[in-house]
Amino acid sequence: MKISLNWLCEYVDLKSFTVEDISHALTMVGFEVENIEVLGLPPLENVVVGEILDFEQHPNADRLSVCQVRVDDGDPRNIVCGAKNFAKGDRVIVALPGAVLPGGFAIKQSKLRGVPSEGMMCSERELGMGDDHEGIAILKDRPEIGLPVEEVFKDRDVIFDVEVTPNRPDALSHLGMAREMAAWFRKEMNYPEIQRNLDPVDAKKLIHSVTSETPENCPHYRGYAIRGVTIAESPDWLKKRIKAIGLRPINNVVDITNFVLHETGQPLHAFDADLIRGKCILVRNAREGEKLVTLDEKERTLDSSMTVIADQERALVVAGVMGTIDAEVSTETRDIFLEAAYFKPGNIRRTARRLGLSTDSSYRFERGVDPCGAEFAALRCMDLILEIAGGERVGAPVICGEAPLVEREIQLSVDYVRERLGFEVSDEDIREALEGLEFDVREERDAENAVMLRVGIPTFRLDLHRPIDLVEEFLRIYGCEKIPEGRVQSVGVLEEDNPVPRYLRRASQLLVGRGFNEVMHYSLRSEKELRRWYDHTTASNLGLANPLASDASHLRPSLVPGLLDCIALNQSRGNDPRMFFETGRVFREWNGKVYEMVSVSLAILETKRNSWKQRESSDFYGVSRLVLDLLQAAGIQLSEDAMVPIEGENPWQQGHAAELGSMRMGFHARMGLLNLVMTREWNIEGLVYAGTLYFMPEFFKRPRKRKSYKPFSVFPAAIRDLAVTTDSATPSGKIRQALEKMGRKAAGNEFALESVQVFDVYQGQGVEEGKKSIACSLVFRSPERTLGEKEVNTALDAIQKEVQSHPDMELRS
Amino acid sequence: MEEELQSILKQVESEIGSIQSAADFEQFKARISGPNGAFTAITKQIGKLSPAERPLAGKLINQYKQSLQECYDRVIQRLEEQQLQSLIGPPVDPTLPSPDAGPGSLHLITQVREEICDILRKIGFVVADGPEVETEYFCFDALNTPRDHPARDLQDTYYIDPQTSFGNIERKVADERYLLRTHTSSVQIRTMLEQKPPVRIISPGRCFRRDTADATHSANFHQIEALYVDKGVTVKDLKADLDFLFRSLLGSDAVTRFRPHYFSYTEPSFEVDFKVGHLGKVGSDWMEIMGCGMVDPAVFEEVGYDPKVWSGYAFGLGIERIAMTLYGVDDIRYLYQNDLRLSRQFA
Repeated sequence: MKISLNWLCEYVDLKSFTVEDISHALTMVGFEVENIEVLGLPPLENVVVGEILDFEQHPNADRLSVCQVRVDDGDPRNIVCGAKNFAKGDRVIVALPGAVLPGGFAIKQSKLRGVPSEGMMCSERELGMGDDHEGIAILKDRPEIGLPVEEVFKDRDVIFDVEVTPNRPDALSHLGMAREMAAWFRKEMNYPEIQRNLDPVDAKKLIHSVTSETPENCPHYRGYAIRGVTIAESPDWLKKRIKAIGLRPINNVVDITNFVLHETGQPLHAFDADLIRGKCILVRNAREGEKLVTLDEKERTLDSSMTVIADQERALVVAGVMGTIDAEVSTETRDIFLEAAYFKPGNIRRTARRLGLSTDSSYRFERGVDPCGAEFAALRCMDLILEIAGGERVGAPVICGEAPLVEREIQLSVDYVRERLGFEVSDEDIREALEGLEFDVREERDAENAVMLRVGIPTFRLDLHRPIDLVEEFLRIYGCEKIPEGRVQSVGVLEEDNPVPRYLRRASQLLVGRGFNEVMHYSLRSEKELRRWYDHTTASNLGLANPLASDASHLRPSLVPGLLDCIALNQSRGNDPRMFFETGRVFREWNGKVYEMVSVSLAILETKRNSWKQRESSDFYGVSRLVLDLLQAAGIQLSEDAMVPIEGENPWQQGHAAELGSMRMGFHARMGLLNLVMTREWNIEGLVYAGTLYFMPEFFKRPRKRKSYKPFSVFPAAIRDLAVTTDSATPSGKIRQALEKMGRKAAGNEFALESVQVFDVYQGQGVEEGKKSIACSLVFRSPERTLGEKEVNTALDAIQKEVQSHPDMELRS
Repeated sequence: MEEELQSILKQVESEIGSIQSAADFEQFKARISGPNGAFTAITKQIGKLSPAERPLAGKLINQYKQSLQECYDRVIQRLEEQQLQSLIGPPVDPTLPSPDAGPGSLHLITQVREEICDILRKIGFVVADGPEVETEYFCFDALNTPRDHPARDLQDTYYIDPQTSFGNIERKVADERYLLRTHTSSVQIRTMLEQKPPVRIISPGRCFRRDTADATHSANFHQIEALYVDKGVTVKDLKADLDFLFRSLLGSDAVTRFRPHYFSYTEPSFEVDFKVGHLGKVGSDWMEIMGCGMVDPAVFEEVGYDPKVWSGYAFGLGIERIAMTLYGVDDIRYLYQNDLRLSRQFA
């Protein structure tokens, strides 16, 4: 909101303070100053009006002139000038030696190309007034010679653009801001006085009645009538005020209603009384689909939730928002009907939103104007209309409803204030600050003889209800800068970080340690991408109700598309992308419901690199190792045995991808080569291996179990190799597990089979077509002794015998 | 005899240098010291000598045997060295670039988030967590946001398609709307509903506002919010803890100032400005960095804490904003573009 300093000063005397003081004060009471604009001229010494008596070409410079300029009764001054836009007899602005122009430019007596110059004639820009630098400023009004320049440009004003928080509608006016400044600077407020005798001149009414059909939206409505006004341009002072805060002057009556709005914060509306048909006012709900044309000349279609001010036939105003052209005050207007009402905030806010129309009036009503402020504003406005536009008041005001009762009293213990603040302030400080804000403060003692303040809250402060609200009021006026430095009073709490961020931190450390770069992408993706990657149901379940853009309309079900974006971007920019990961929330569908899940995803780009030395290429097994490690970091111990090949999922290349876990288990991991066609669609050159893990956040809530140490054998192992053949489609994990089972049985209670590991897989010469050979090493060990050759071989024989009778495998000879 | 021994040693010394493999060496050694070797043959002559000559001859033979063994040892050592040498290639050129990927890196947002969390952990906070999809209750109602507050508007907050139902996001009010949380304060509500005071949590996380992306706005961004509830928590405590945070983060010359502001869930509420000499162009002016305040009694009542017994403070800051301030990144979109040239600078 724009606040004019000159205007503010009409209500509170701030003359002794600098612009910086006032700006600081506004900020420190809670109205952050976003911009300061200076209108007109700052005071300048030795800058006066002069007249060019004569001028001639500079003898040594084509572009300069030598002027004779009169600035006082003495001899004319010799001034060298580079401008060409003046004529003999022009009145101009002259900076004499000793003047310091804005920007610190000091004027001295000097010589220009050999000709002495006793000052400078100035352009508007040189004076800090505007941007005009086409030539020197010519004063068309011919002010008196020698007049100080600030007397010529008397329009100096400072405009503060302040942010008013939504809880402070009372400050959306110059009087409101002045009150705040009066409290901060401890100054008196000067409220405008109603000058005119406002008793009606006769009993005849221009408007007979006001009826409200919707008292819940409009509890209070007052109307005043004036006959015989002269609509004209506003006087200069009024235009200046209106213009200073960025409004356009229209005519005297309209300008006065705007002035009073920005003075008091109470929106008003002036009708041309002649155009009110039936001479009565009806406040009613709009009819569904009712149309009208607002003052901005746009046709608006209303609905029944909106309130209008109507005459017998038609709606004339969208209540609290904007009037229509139908009863607009124009140059023809003779008689005025002035509205001052209280509309409920919610209704105005909804109406303004639905119409996409925010006005100075709706802005204030929707935040909450003083419910008791209508009468004062109306009288003030009448006063100004009668003074400026003439006319006479007719009849008594027509009134409907009553101003809502909003008076309140808050009991405030001064000890409570100190307790909440945590530092000492005196009772007197508290009292003074609250009184400065025009609160009615009475001091009492409670049963324990402690000071208790009874604080009466003015009707314009709709935001204050509780003692804590007054703690804030006190602190604002006392000064937040006086909050003393303190020491951290830290108390240890017996809590751990939440396991989800703890896990993500571990997973990230693991991946960074292996050379991955963390990336972050937006959570919202396009529907098109979701359909391509997943299926129809996923896309339709993850949509936003109100997306802003089609490329960000759906929640992401996976982090992998983002990783592809990143690879594509870095590849196209020649950044040699390799390994990326991202952690974050994704949204997965399961059994018709959507689950928010925690995800870790990684991607590795495998492509021919331009390097003096080639490394072994990445493959599935590199990714599967990482995924198993990431699962282990989450406390999930799984081996490759549990892997299941992924079939028929769009993003994954069939035969080159596998999964672990399931939604039911609370975690689900997929890994392998990404679909080659899709990778190509992303314009990525090369293969992308990816791994992606999803966890239900609840999964991590499992109680923490500390592991306990298991002793290991200090005796040597006995290792035997065994090769079997099986169908080439049989997963080797299945064979390994079978051998492990046989081995356990064979070792019996005597000793233990420690592990079975696949160390070779072979297909080709020497192995039957359609079969493969799997070689495993079996590690036997006893916790108590060194194993003998014989007992190990006996166990191996038993295993071999079992292999021979196993349906899926044969011993390899 | 000595001449014969001398000539064998000479022969060995001259030929042994050309031996290149262990096998050649064994063969060569057999020719000299093997059962039928030249040296062995001479040693056998000792039996033919007179007992008087024997001690001298024996001494001589031992002397030469030792010399031969030294020759053999040298060869064995040389061959072993050669064999080890064969395991490695030619000397490296240490100035060649490694073909491996450069260091892994954490995203700048993660780095800043962790730095702030680490600072706050030192003064007793623990990290809490909650969902990004929230309901109107947790995001607005419980935080004392008026029913018709503009933040709830479709223009400012993303809502989820009403058809969608969530399996693991609990609703407080039947059929209330799901939305993308606009701040992580919702985590504070969930935490307070679950546990009794005292509470000392920070909730870092992703938030969403329905903004058109530009240099300073992003459809999603990250926040860290802190909540401290205990008996007798004061405005002075809030200021002290924030000073601790900013001095840890920005250096001991950082100063902060509170300005009154308005948030529905705190009273009094403040915006915090900071100023720090060494941060160059931002150093001289107050710069707005975050919002904070004392928890509004209405919020305590909503979660079942007695506001007469408990008081507390809350603050929230934008991680991107801090990251951009600390590192001079001038466009928030760069943080989501993931150009490696940015990540590598902060690896």
